[in-house]
Amino acid sequence: MSVQMVQLEHVTKEFDEANVVDDINLDIRAGEFLTLLGPSGCGKTTTLRMIAGFEKPTSGKILLNGKQVDDMEPYKREVNTVFQSYSLFPHMNVYDNVAFGLKMKKVGKDEIRERVTKALKLVQLEEYGNRKPKQLSGGQQQRIAIARAIVNNPKVLLLDEPLGALDLKLRKQMQLELKHLQQTLGITFIYVTHDQEEALTMSDRIVVMNKGKIEQIGLPREIYENPTTRFVADFIGQTNIIEGTVTAINGDKATMEFSGQTIEIPNSQNVALNEEAFISVRPEKMKASAVPFEGTINLKGTFKERIYVGSVTKIVVTMPNGKELTIHESHDNIEELTNTNDVYVSWNPKNTVVLKK
Amino acid sequence: MMRPRTKKILFSFSLLVFLFFYIPIIFVVIFSFNDSKLGTVWTGFTLEWYGSILQNKQLISATMNSIYLAVITTIISTILGTLAALALHRYTFIGKKSVEFLFYIPVVIPDIVVAVALLAIYGLLNMSLGLNTAVPGHVAITISYVMLVVLARLSSFDNSLEEAAKDLGANEWQTFWKVTFPLIFPGVLAGALLAFTISLDEFVISFFTLGPGDNTLPVLVYSMVRLGVSPEVNVLSTIIIAIMFIVVFVVGLRMRKGGEAK
Repeated sequence: MSVQMVQLEHVTKEFDEANVVDDINLDIRAGEFLTLLGPSGCGKTTTLRMIAGFEKPTSGKILLNGKQVDDMEPYKREVNTVFQSYSLFPHMNVYDNVAFGLKMKKVGKDEIRERVTKALKLVQLEEYGNRKPKQLSGGQQQRIAIARAIVNNPKVLLLDEPLGALDLKLRKQMQLELKHLQQTLGITFIYVTHDQEEALTMSDRIVVMNKGKIEQIGLPREIYENPTTRFVADFIGQTNIIEGTVTAINGDKATMEFSGQTIEIPNSQNVALNEEAFISVRPEKMKASAVPFEGTINLKGTFKERIYVGSVTKIVVTMPNGKELTIHESHDNIEELTNTNDVYVSWNPKNTVVLKK
Repeated sequence: MMRPRTKKILFSFSLLVFLFFYIPIIFVVIFSFNDSKLGTVWTGFTLEWYGSILQNKQLISATMNSIYLAVITTIISTILGTLAALALHRYTFIGKKSVEFLFYIPVVIPDIVVAVALLAIYGLLNMSLGLNTAVPGHVAITISYVMLVVLARLSSFDNSLEEAAKDLGANEWQTFWKVTFPLIFPGVLAGALLAFTISLDEFVISFFTLGPGDNTLPVLVYSMVRLGVSPEVNVLSTIIIAIMFIVVFVVGLRMRKGGEAK
């Protein structure tokens, strides 16, 4: 049985009578890399700030390592935060920044020196102790902020969009470094981001939030391949959401009518006879061709356009009812399609995901 | 590019402004060495007045009074002004804008109004005037300057630094002294210097609220000048100019150093 490191029980936070965080329940295991993912204003940062102690929940309980902490001051909690703007102390040099937390805890001088040196080494900046934060690049400042937090051996490390200010290449590199660091240290990481790719790359589990509520909790692969709600399907990656009426249910299968054609979908609790159903199919799971494929779902439409986007080519096909479907094809698989052609959009039925209404 | 003609005109104008400021001061300095009691005609060089000023007990006690008032005023104004700025920066409350506005008023209100008002209060309370009765007036006019300067410094202060300190285990008190105060210190220092010079310079309030036997430097100089500008006044002015020059120079140098370190 894994140990619950952080537990949120019915946590709600109100600002000006609006629920920014709305009745959240969440268990975070010791040693896991958990990401809170969602658009801005979804409540992910507020949730993090409540765990850190900068905000008090309006109602509900927060437990840290089994102890209730929601009334505890931030400086008494065994968590440390890496801030979005780094928040390094500009009047101290790098060494003193990293040593700050240990000095507050009255750790002995020799031990401070040893631990700070080790932390700086861990982020590969051991030579920079005498510099002021302003003399470092954004990526280096970011690393110092991480060193300043982990030098305290926190039970939980909270990271609030820590890579947001870095350029794309550095961000990708830091994502992997952070992931490796987390594995090396075995500390529980709670990571906040609005970047779905970042979340998929780094996390053990992802919590997708929207409007103060949790939409879905799952492994990166589950979140991407089996989104349960329209929000998650739409927010994580690109997808085609197809809406139709269920015309028949037959065991574990059902038939949906869409734009004058039928699609076979898996039966689920979100499927009911004569009612609307929503399915999601990823663009990379679809193919566009001039003739229908055997043994797959085929929808007939007309070719609209082709867009080269580097890694793949996007093909847009218009359905008879005007709905546009987007397909991602690798460059070597593209058939010659022109707008005079009828185009068949096809996919394997196992790639159909039924969403909640 | 500026046209050469425009550049010339601008230069001449700047020079005129400069001369307008400094010629009177230069005259004061020159005439402090003038070997004549009348002080309007140059008759020869002497250091006599510099010697005699040191013997002038009245002058020395007025100087001590001025420094005493300025120090007390600076301490009170700097503490209260800084606390007010911190409160206004940190908290939101009903009527915050009005409170902030009230702090601006002493900057624009004529000193004479403050002086008369204080005198009226002292009369009402039946208080006898002395050196310390000038303190409230001095504080009243300097506290706003301290608050405004510190508030300006705080406006560029990143509040997440305080959160970072608390996150790392510092309590409120440690957070203030280790993080907040060092970062707003240049503002506090500038405010304190302003308060000090304004208090040292203050005439109207001192004139009204000091006791009959107590003189500050400006009040004494005023009474001396009524009998004609004596060389001693020139000497005194020269010394004050020299001190101020050194203070501004040192502070400027320190600020430049601080700027480079960043």
